[in-house]
Amino acid sequence: MSSYGTVLPAAARAILSSCRPVYRQTSIGSALSGFQQVRGAKSNPQARGKGKKESKSDKKGPREFRQKSLKDVEQFALCDAMQYLRAVEVGREPTTSKYEVHIRLRTRRDGPVIRNMIRFPHAVQTESRICVICPPGSKHAKDALAAGAVLVGEDEVFEAVKAGKIEFDRCLAHPDSLPALNKAALGRVLGPRGLMPSAKTGTVVEDVASRVEMLRGGTVYRERDAVIRLPIGQLAFSPEQLRDNLRTTIEQIKKDASGLTDRVNKQVYEVVLSSTNGPGFSLNGEFKTDNSPETSALTGL
Amino acid sequence: MVNLFKRMRKLKTILDIRTGLGAAIFPNPTSATKEFPPVTRLHLTYARKIYNGHQGARHFWRNCLPRLKYHNPAVRMTVQQTEDQSLTPSLTIYFAERLSSTAPAIIGSKKISDKHAPAPESSEKIAVVDLKDLTYKEIWSRVQAATGAEEVRTSAEDEAERKRLDAITAKAGKDRERIQAIRQAKKDQERMLAEARGEVEKMKEL
Repeated sequence: MSSYGTVLPAAARAILSSCRPVYRQTSIGSALSGFQQVRGAKSNPQARGKGKKESKSDKKGPREFRQKSLKDVEQFALCDAMQYLRAVEVGREPTTSKYEVHIRLRTRRDGPVIRNMIRFPHAVQTESRICVICPPGSKHAKDALAAGAVLVGEDEVFEAVKAGKIEFDRCLAHPDSLPALNKAALGRVLGPRGLMPSAKTGTVVEDVASRVEMLRGGTVYRERDAVIRLPIGQLAFSPEQLRDNLRTTIEQIKKDASGLTDRVNKQVYEVVLSSTNGPGFSLNGEFKTDNSPETSALTGL
Repeated sequence: MVNLFKRMRKLKTILDIRTGLGAAIFPNPTSATKEFPPVTRLHLTYARKIYNGHQGARHFWRNCLPRLKYHNPAVRMTVQQTEDQSLTPSLTIYFAERLSSTAPAIIGSKKISDKHAPAPESSEKIAVVDLKDLTYKEIWSRVQAATGAEEVRTSAEDEAERKRLDAITAKAGKDRERIQAIRQAKKDQERMLAEARGEVEKMKEL
């Protein structure tokens, strides 16, 4: 122990302090023992840990997601946030860098979540590749192909997926092929990627063609831990385009929230604009401030 | 979502975008002089790895370019990273109408061209600066000299903030050492106790 004293004074102090109760019981007089006992119990890590655990198991935790007050948070106008984000993204691959929006909700921890699809006034993805699982040669297959699906069929799709070739971003299925799909047991492959068609996510539909059309320009979003995250625009978008997309998104989310069952109350609490490589800027709802650059300067690459 | 305090702390890094090396404003159509015409575009080309003198160019992109972009949002800036290490790293500066008076001296006698740079429009003149074996600070001083970019003065608030952030960073280093010592001490003590217990067991067995 003396060696620690010379090398690490802080370490030695820590050791001594935790050893202290042991010394006292044997060597120091009884007059001080009451006081020391209290200190000993307090500084004893084992005793402390035990007490904490018990109290934790009693409590279930807060019912709602805790959301801090935004009173002191620095918030930005849209154009100012864009100016920073465009600076952060300078020289990045223009096709990969995107604006993202994170919409925080004031909501309960349990209960239904918002989950929907949106079509922006200005499309974010240039093209999303869609796979449709339906009986080949049927009317649905022809319609889906006409609507712009890249991969249509049953067995051939299953084979490709099993071989690890997943060349699509979305997957739809027609109810007629659902038994075949379940038999193929693709859940393990498609499930983690979020591509497994299911009636719950609205990807098992009768009218495949119209859904394909909708999906091609649409973005799927869902609420996770009281936050909805979705890409909102390409980096080349002008502030006006981004504003239109943002407005549409928030309106739709508000509509979604009010469309849930009556007892569930969800409110938009904070809107954060971010980008692929950038930090998150909390938006204050303004479009621009006096110091913002011209909107034309914030457009293009 | 990330903890609010963490997010706000991270957001303080935008100070690095506002201030530092490269926080300067290029001459724009209103502030241009006869000597320094407005800058319309920048293009940087460098290779992925650092040998053959590509390091400074990448650092220039990392350090200076975001600041330039922040202060000159209307100037388009593109970066091309190539796999070809033998290529000369270069920065192409696009001037409106004519070159600045200092540009020829900066370019030097050795003319290079950059095949990755977008072609200049008819009204644009380009100056291609050779960046080989230059540090990003040297690159910046050349860019500044060639374009006549005017440095943005750091405001008093930003300076105060910088000081505050530096103090926090310094304190974080100290705290890290302190906590490390405490954790190490605790581990050492546990190990000693375990050893002592082992010896008691041995004694009992005997």
